[in-house]
Amino acid sequence: MKDNRNETSPADEPKGTTRREFLKLTGALLAAGMTQLVRPKNFIPARASTSDSEHQWGMLIDINLCIGCQYCTFACNAINNLSDDMRYCVVTTETTQSGDEFFLSRPCMHCDEAPCVHVCPVGATYKRPDGIVAMDYDLCIGCRYCQIACPYEARVFNWREPIELSPQSPTFGYQEVPNRPRGVVEKCTFCSHRIDAGLERGLVPGVDTQATPACVVACPTTARIFGDLNDPESPISVALADAKITLRLREELSTDPRVYYIPPDSETENPFQGN
Amino acid sequence: MQSNIHYPKFRVGKIKIDIFPYWVALLSAGILFGLVGAFIVLRDGLQVTDLSNKVPWGLWISIDLSSIALGGSAFVFGVIVYLLKLKRFEVIGKLAVLLGFLGYSAAGLVLLFDLGQPLRFWHPVVFWQPHSLLWEVTMCVVLYLGVLVAEMVPIVVEHPFFASHPIHERFPVVRKLATQAKTVAHWFHKIGPILAIFGLTLSLLHQASLGATYSVLYGRGIWFNPSAPVQFVLSAMSGGTALLFFLGVIVFRVMRPGLVEDDVLYDVARLSGGVTLLLTYLRVWDWAVTNYYSFDRYISLQTEALNAIGPYTLSFWIGQALLPVIAGSVLLAARSVKNFRYLMAFSVIPIFAAILTRWNYNFSGLIATPTYDPYTPVIVVNSYTPTWVEFSVATLVISYWLLMFSFAARFLPFHSSHHG
Repeated sequence: MKDNRNETSPADEPKGTTRREFLKLTGALLAAGMTQLVRPKNFIPARASTSDSEHQWGMLIDINLCIGCQYCTFACNAINNLSDDMRYCVVTTETTQSGDEFFLSRPCMHCDEAPCVHVCPVGATYKRPDGIVAMDYDLCIGCRYCQIACPYEARVFNWREPIELSPQSPTFGYQEVPNRPRGVVEKCTFCSHRIDAGLERGLVPGVDTQATPACVVACPTTARIFGDLNDPESPISVALADAKITLRLREELSTDPRVYYIPPDSETENPFQGN
Repeated sequence: MQSNIHYPKFRVGKIKIDIFPYWVALLSAGILFGLVGAFIVLRDGLQVTDLSNKVPWGLWISIDLSSIALGGSAFVFGVIVYLLKLKRFEVIGKLAVLLGFLGYSAAGLVLLFDLGQPLRFWHPVVFWQPHSLLWEVTMCVVLYLGVLVAEMVPIVVEHPFFASHPIHERFPVVRKLATQAKTVAHWFHKIGPILAIFGLTLSLLHQASLGATYSVLYGRGIWFNPSAPVQFVLSAMSGGTALLFFLGVIVFRVMRPGLVEDDVLYDVARLSGGVTLLLTYLRVWDWAVTNYYSFDRYISLQTEALNAIGPYTLSFWIGQALLPVIAGSVLLAARSVKNFRYLMAFSVIPIFAAILTRWNYNFSGLIATPTYDPYTPVIVVNSYTPTWVEFSVATLVISYWLLMFSFAARFLPFHSSHHG
């Protein structure tokens, strides 16, 4: 008797229980899906259309004019309150194929197909409608996947507590944005705080200095030009139209950067560059 | 039932010593040492590590990847026991579930310290970004850990404590809790097949995605590799099953003789050997496709840079090609070899190869990094030497794994559910 019951019960039971469990699991999955509704308001999917905004910000760096003074880096560090070992903007000395040295200054490329935006597991890095790759420092968990994904090494992790005052501060300006907590990844914002505030006051970013990124304003040789790529009259559109040739870094990766360079020209004399 | 378990003894002259208390004391010391490092990391942040903006992922990520890979037997045996209904693997399947649970919980533990903001570990679960492989991995690992807990409960509840214990008479509430635990366990056991399907899906997804986490990064030369996801799945199956065989021999053949037939253990070894051979076949083709039939400037420069500082190519040919072929062949012939000492010795190789794969994969792209220089891109060689704090947290996680395993091996009955 007992044996019989044991043999029959497993065959009978699965039907009823399985259906009930199935419904419960479905409910649990639906509940998990509901968490999608709690996502933050500034959440923009990775492939957001960039034509939503009337402005598309971009930068042009004329390598022939760059003298490697690093004022862009210093101004950036001052207004973002960064210590000297954290740099959003880096100036390095590189060589052409013929061996001529030139200075390469690199802000964030603000790529259209930004690898960092695609890989961020929490959507802390997102693309604004005006093309700026921005970060929500309250969402970032500090996994550093974006650092690994970025082909331009444009991202820096905040290993330490924020500092009191940047070493560049009195000389190159004062802090303009809030400090970021320890343990998040940080990046260049194209000084979006200046752009947003400037537009509200009717200023033109790229023309009016208060609305233009600090690195562009600080450049003593106007090697950096900033402006709206959508506006044919903007300084950057004019300069891009005038340039014989432009290049973007690691274009083979199809990241579609918003930062253009005018490559070093052997016919241009630059007394500051070695030969 | 308890009396069936034979504890391994250490012979000193004529005295036999049960080394278990000393072993536990050693591991507890490891955990205490690890807690010191853990405290320092949580207090001072990641500046106490040697991680940098150039090498943002280091020792902990490698441990995390290896730990998840070595838990790979859980989904394989979930399928074998619950979906293919091969009842003779039921008991060893329980050990697989234990190894899976330990591997994933250890990985979760080490990841907690690796985050810059440990208190935000739950963010991926709430703030979804489905384009990110790391998001997918996190969700799968969280859900799969849930599946593993559900599969673990019936195994833990088998312990005689839940049936009867003097404390039940003294505190009726304990008896009530024990009875409820048994009910829950029964419930979980009933939905075993559903859990197995979930486990298989989640495991295949995230084991593959862990490879894809690196291999989608097209800017990093050596990482960009379409076959990495398959390699990661197969190497988790081969390494995980080899670990299951190694520990299965200790837990069942040495400590619980008669519970699992030798043939079943041989079959586990054969499975591991077969998958190891398959993986090695794929891996050698992958090498040929990336290095012989095609040429990529970055990959070749990176390989050159890595070979200049360490035995990168050599470690591939010996550790990931030659030794796994030998070990895979021996394990595949387990029924003819019929020598558990040899088989255990050879089963170490797939385990080691699975760890080596992840170690190499993580560090190859981080140590030798291509620059963004437009005209003369070079490979920059970065350095990374883990600090004592990183080793300390690593000790914490490994001691946790070993301690939990030792307790389970000593006290859990692992008997078949068809008793009584």
